[in-house]
Order: sequence, then C-alpha cells, then structure tokens
Amino acid sequence: MTEVSILSLVKSYGKAEALKGISLNIDHGEFVSLLGPSGCGKSTTLKCIAGFEEITDGKILFDNKDISRKLPEDRDIGMVFQSYALFPHMTVAQNLAFGLEMRRVPRAEIKQRVARAMDMVQLTKYADRYPKMLSGGQQQRVALGRALVIEPAILLLDEPLANLDAKLRDEMRGFIRDLQKRVGITTIYVTHDQDEAMTMSDRVVVMFNGAIAQAARPEDVYNHPATEEVAKFVGNANILELPVAAQGAEGTLLTLPGGGTLNLPGTASGQAGSLMRLMARPEQIALVDPSGAQLGGRIAKRYFSGGHIEYHVDTDCGPLLVLGPTSQTVAEGQAVGLSFDAQRLWPMQGGVGTASGVAA
Amino acid sequence: MQIVTPLLTLVRVSVYIFLIAPIAVVVLASFNAGNFLTFPPQGLSLRWFWTFLQNDVFIDAILYSAVLAACATAVSLVVGTMAALYFVRHARREAELVRIGVLLPLILPEILTAIALLFFFYEIGIGTEHKIALFTGHVLMTLPFVFLNAVTSLQSRDDAAELAARTLGASRYTAFRRITLPLIAPGVATGSVFAFIISFDTFGISFILKGSGSAPLPIQLYDYLRFNFTPEAAAVSTVSIIMTVLLLGLADLVFGKK
Repeated sequence: MTEVSILSLVKSYGKAEALKGISLNIDHGEFVSLLGPSGCGKSTTLKCIAGFEEITDGKILFDNKDISRKLPEDRDIGMVFQSYALFPHMTVAQNLAFGLEMRRVPRAEIKQRVARAMDMVQLTKYADRYPKMLSGGQQQRVALGRALVIEPAILLLDEPLANLDAKLRDEMRGFIRDLQKRVGITTIYVTHDQDEAMTMSDRVVVMFNGAIAQAARPEDVYNHPATEEVAKFVGNANILELPVAAQGAEGTLLTLPGGGTLNLPGTASGQAGSLMRLMARPEQIALVDPSGAQLGGRIAKRYFSGGHIEYHVDTDCGPLLVLGPTSQTVAEGQAVGLSFDAQRLWPMQGGVGTASGVAA
Repeated sequence: MQIVTPLLTLVRVSVYIFLIAPIAVVVLASFNAGNFLTFPPQGLSLRWFWTFLQNDVFIDAILYSAVLAACATAVSLVVGTMAALYFVRHARREAELVRIGVLLPLILPEILTAIALLFFFYEIGIGTEHKIALFTGHVLMTLPFVFLNAVTSLQSRDDAAELAARTLGASRYTAFRRITLPLIAPGVATGSVFAFIISFDTFGISFILKGSGSAPLPIQLYDYLRFNFTPEAAAVSTVSIIMTVLLLGLADLVFGKK
C-alpha cells in the first residue's frame, strides 16, 4: 500500500494553466475520486501522476519518494483507460501476462498469477478469447485485471465506466469498489459523474478550473459543500437568500418572505440585517399544507420518475426544486406549503451580504 | 430507374474493357508463334518466353529492377513509417508541411522530380554515378505509398494501448515494438507492396537518372522496342504482369480481410 502526495502541482500548456498548484494527500488504501466538469484538470492530474504529462512545477510523491521525473514504466502504477486500451492482437491471458513479462517474472509464476487475476475479475473461461470477442463489461474487467495483476503501488482509473450502458455501469461500480477494498490498493478515480464518485469513494475531490474546490467525504461534499459551485455540481441545490433577523447564542433567526421564520442552530456568522445564503437539497424540503407553513408556493411542474416525484415550485424565494415521495401526490397548479429542516440547511461561505436594497 | 441499371452496367463493362484490354492484348501477343509483335497472334507458341529466358539482358534487367525495388522499399518502409509516426503523434503546426513534403513526388509529374534530382546530383558532383541518384529517386517515388498506409493505420487505432503498455512497465521502444508495430504491420506491409510495384514499374525516374551500365526493366524494354519488334517484349511484359499480380495476391492473402 502506498501513500500519494501531490504538492503544489502546476501544469501549463504555453500560457494556459491547466493545473494551478494543487495539493492533495491520499492515504494508504484510500479510494479517492477526482470529480469535475470536462476541462477542470482532473484528467491532467491523473496523466501527471501516471507520467504521461511532464509537470511544470510541484512534486508528486509515492511513499515520500519523489517520482515526478520518472518515466511511466518506472512508476509502478496500474491504469485503466476509458477506452480500455486492451491489446487487440493478444488474448485475454496474454493481455494480463504482458505487465509480468515486462517485469521479467518467471514463466511459471506468470501463469499462476495470470490465472489468479483472471479468477479475480471472473474471466477464467475467456482466457483464450481476443478482446473484440468480449462485451464492454468483460473488456472492462480485462483492463482491471491487467492493471492489478502486476500488483502496482497505486491504481489509476480514467472514466472507466463512461462507455458502458447504465445497468452495467451500476454493476461495475460495486465490482470495482469491492475489488479495491479486497486488494486494499490506493486508488485514484477520475470521473465527471457525481453519483459514481459518491457511491465509490472514501473521499471526493471536486475540481474546477485547474484547482481543488473541496476534498472531503462524499457525505460532507453533498451536505456541506464548500462553495455554491460544488453544491450545484454534486447534486441539485436550492439556494435561499434570507435576511438575518437576530443572531443569538443558540442560533441564527432568519425571516422568510411571507412572515415565516427559520431558526438556524449553531454559530453561523451573520449579523442582524445581513443576508445569508443557504443551501437546501431537494429531498430536504417537504411539501406540507399551505396554512401555517414556513413558506408558501405553487407547483409549476411535476415529473414522476419512478422512485420519487420531482416538483418545480414557484415561491417568493424564487423557483425551488423539491423531491417528494410517490405516496404523496400534489397536482400541478396546486398551492402548497414548504417545510425546511433547519438542521440540514447549509450556510454557504461567502454568502453573507448586507440587506441593503433587498425587500424582506 | 429502369434505364439507369442497364446503363450503369454498360459503363461498368466499358471501363473494365478499357482497363483490361491492353493488358490482355500484350499477354496474348506474347504467345505469338510469328516473328513480329502483332495482334491477333499468328499461332500459339511459348517460343518467345524461351527466347526471353535465354536473353541475359532481360534476365539481368528483371533482377536489377527487383533488387532496386527491394532496397528502395526497405528504405521507404523505415523512413515512411517513422514519418507517419511523427505526423500522427507529434507534428502540430508543421503537420501539413510534413505531409505535403512526403507526398510531393506523388503530386508532381514524375519527370519534374527526376529532373530536379538530376540537377541536384550534378550540382553536388555525384551525377548519375554509383546509382545514388537513381536509388534516391526510387525512394522518393515509393515513400508516399508507405507513408499514406502507415498514417491510415495509425489514425484508425487508439494511442492508449501504447500508453497502457508503458504503465505495465514497457519502455517507449518495447511498447512500440510489442504493441503499435504489430497493429500497424498490415497497413505498412500493404504500403510496401505498392512501393515495390511502383519502383519496379516506374519509367521516368529511371530513364533520367540511370547511369551507364545495366538498366531497370522498363528502360531495357524501351531500348529493346526501339530496334526490335518481336513478341519477346510482350513475353517480358507478361512475366512482369504475372509477378505483379502474384505479389498483390500474396499481400491480400496474408494481410487482407481476416
């Protein structure tokens, strides 16, 4: 098991900075996802770790050894590519044996280890098939087996599930996650899919514009996003901008349009009279009877999506997205009340402003 | 639509006749029993093939052409593949320049390339001695065929396979030899077969750049036809055609669709 440290990593292409000095520590056996939109630098980071891109500045350490200037073949990494990058002229067994041959492992041992790896990725009966005779999921498992059979220090995965259909993708998520825990290998996973990042990772690193916006456990990234950008990228986020009525020791009292109040526990900083920006996830808002509700609104759109119902609600706080249970049905056009769970509202940083010019 | 199909068939058949008839005439004329190159042949005989086999001038010319073509192809194979790798993987702004540079001998009339080389080699004091000019000309003529085929095979595949090999511990060179080369080999080989045939058949370059002494087959045939008009020339041509067809057939068998 290996610990990876990225120290002030900079990568420029001419004048354009793809990575603006990112730092990240990855623990022994940790599964970390780099999550972000295309062009955010997540793939560039992975390429720098793999050694495909020469870094402009900074350092990458594996177990405190600087590997920044090493060639890819000397870094002891296993990598799974989005296109799988299998060797089409070699059978499954030959694909798996390649890395061991390169390491001059004795023939008998290669045979053993390849057999074990094929068992691990459940491909034993396809040993003599060529990649093009396999399904997408099987090819994916060959790529995984090929990367793991060499028992590398770290495992890098570059959007490995992007080319699979939805159902298979869900299966493979679990498969990769279980395999990673069983082998206990330090893993860096690049994806633009927030569900994938959150279900699989120990820690999610959200990146925008060549910088890390937040690196935290999936629950924290989702419930306590560092910025609004993160909040919106990892899920649907309603942002409420509310004036602070009073700030006390037991919490912050906020006024809602229409006269309702919210008592935000904790010590979020907000002076009376200032504005506070709060994030509420759609499933954290409940639809209730309009009379006496914290906030009133009207259902603008209603979409049934199997597991839940999605409501677009017009309110005095602007349009809000609410996820409701399928047991409760509210029709489009109906007046509703909204109920917030103050415990779960998350004040956004930098979201505090003055109330001047804003009608309460 | 009713009229189009028969019309299309007519056009198709005409094109084939137009392409194949001259070749058929040469082949049939080579079996002529008479003393002159005429068509239709006056009786069938293999006598001109026998005459040809005993004519050292033609045998030498065929061998000379074959060795020249093989050497030119070998050089084109290496240089063309390397140029293709550079063009596909590394060239950025200069990519188009590289492509045009390599393809220029294919775009320009052959005679222009030949004359340019002639001037050049006289300017540097070598002239047409030691077959250097001739050999260079043949390499330039054959290079585009290897280059184009190699570029196509490189572009049609995924670079990631070579990167994957690197992560598995292969050096740059090993990754190329074990992964990329086997994958582009069919394309490069097809290009080489074309290169060989082009070199074997080319006339202009050989005519201008050939020095004193023995000459490639097309030049020897041309010289022969200026003074003789026997079916022996047809017999030589027929042998040359059969060689070409065999080579193409072989290439198709080995590297064709699997």
